[in-house]
Amino acid sequence: MDEENLIAKKEVLRETDISYGQLYRWKRKGLIPEAWFVRKSTFTGQETFFPRDKILERIGRIKAMKDTLPLDDLADAITQQVTAKVQVAVEQLRRATWFDEAAVRECGVDLRGARSMSIADALCVAVVGKLRALARAEEQGLVQRTIRQHLDESFLERVAESDLHLHLLRKKVAAGGISAEISVVAVAPLTVLFDPDVQRVGTVDLRNTLERIKLDLVSGTGGSCGGAASGNREEER
Amino acid sequence: MSEERKSASLSGAGKLSGGDYARVSISGAGKVAGNLKAEALSISGAGKVEGNVEATQVSVSGGASFGGSVTADEMSVSGAARIHGEARVKELKCSGTFRVGQSIVAEYVKVSGHIHVEKNLEAEIFKASGAFTIAGLLSADRIEVRLGGRCAAGEIGGEKIEILRGGFRERGILLDGLVRMFSGSGVAELKVGTVEGDDIALEETTADVVRGKRIRLGPGCTVESVEYSESFDAHPSAKVTKKTKTD
Repeated sequence: MDEENLIAKKEVLRETDISYGQLYRWKRKGLIPEAWFVRKSTFTGQETFFPRDKILERIGRIKAMKDTLPLDDLADAITQQVTAKVQVAVEQLRRATWFDEAAVRECGVDLRGARSMSIADALCVAVVGKLRALARAEEQGLVQRTIRQHLDESFLERVAESDLHLHLLRKKVAAGGISAEISVVAVAPLTVLFDPDVQRVGTVDLRNTLERIKLDLVSGTGGSCGGAASGNREEER
Repeated sequence: MSEERKSASLSGAGKLSGGDYARVSISGAGKVAGNLKAEALSISGAGKVEGNVEATQVSVSGGASFGGSVTADEMSVSGAARIHGEARVKELKCSGTFRVGQSIVAEYVKVSGHIHVEKNLEAEIFKASGAFTIAGLLSADRIEVRLGGRCAAGEIGGEKIEILRGGFRERGILLDGLVRMFSGSGVAELKVGTVEGDDIALEETTADVVRGKRIRLGPGCTVESVEYSESFDAHPSAKVTKKTKTD
């Protein structure tokens, strides 16, 4: 998939108009995951490449948010060890692009009167929301139940650290003139292989989704992280 | 049990079990079994901590060995220290010998002795006048090096990178002797794979690739490939195999 679509570091700098200093700083802060740095030998020597869509999207976000939010708050949001207990303010979620009332209902989250929901619920809503256009109602239920069944703190940590995707699959089986289609949900790395009869309906990058939720959260808070000021750090304008 | 944390002091040969302390000082041959949490840890004899250390202040003037990781606001090493795990220290000053088995993550690092890191060294400001070996990436907003021995790094990246010949003396630090001790035959040079930054000034450096906006190569540089986007100039004695202007 887009793993093949790589962009060289110097191209990233040119396209996004950021400096080496910024890129290295954001890497140090954990705003750009280590896994995105792909080393390759080229005729000019060692060069670093990135997955094009991911890096451009991420840098765009950081650039858009860095003026209103201290870099450290941004970094905390992405790198922080999430716990299933973290509560997410509902009004902020409503503003996020992936938020979808129907997905909320599908996930069985009751928002009436609730001011916050857990990160786990938010992840469930986001994933179901992303697949809603592609998946049938019962498949959405299946996706929802899969996430629910596995969602605990260690699962969230694994999502944050590894390349897990949620795959929605369909397979047709025919025997004796009767055919049926079965739906399957799998959580596996993007590189997982299936038999040729399996049709991929949709794939959701779980880590990316989780990071987006967290980014949307910080961008909504306006950076009111209270007294723990980061001192006289030289923040880039 | 009172809520107040105790202080412990080991002088002579002693052993301390881990735990939460106010101050721990080891001046003989002391050993701490397990993880240690303390406001201040000072080791001036031969100290060993088997677990992880979490402290506001750590100072080593003798020989210290840490089996786990060290997290501290301030750490100073003027003797010899070895950390098998990671060092997460806001402010790190090293005028002795310091070996770290994993990475150093810091805000400010000042090295006038010798530092050896098996993985990466990340900081906001990195100043060195001694010698260093960093197997992975040395990354900081500002990197200021006055070469004081054989230095090596896998990669260097940051905003402003300045690697110059040594000969600068810090106020009040017994620098010269130490530098001579650790630098071997008085060679002061840097060997590095790739250097990337916005403003780069190098002397006595051998590199495969130097990439940046503004690049200045001084005497003693040998660079395989230079890629610059704004300006480039080189001392007559600098050897550059290939240079490219990118836009």
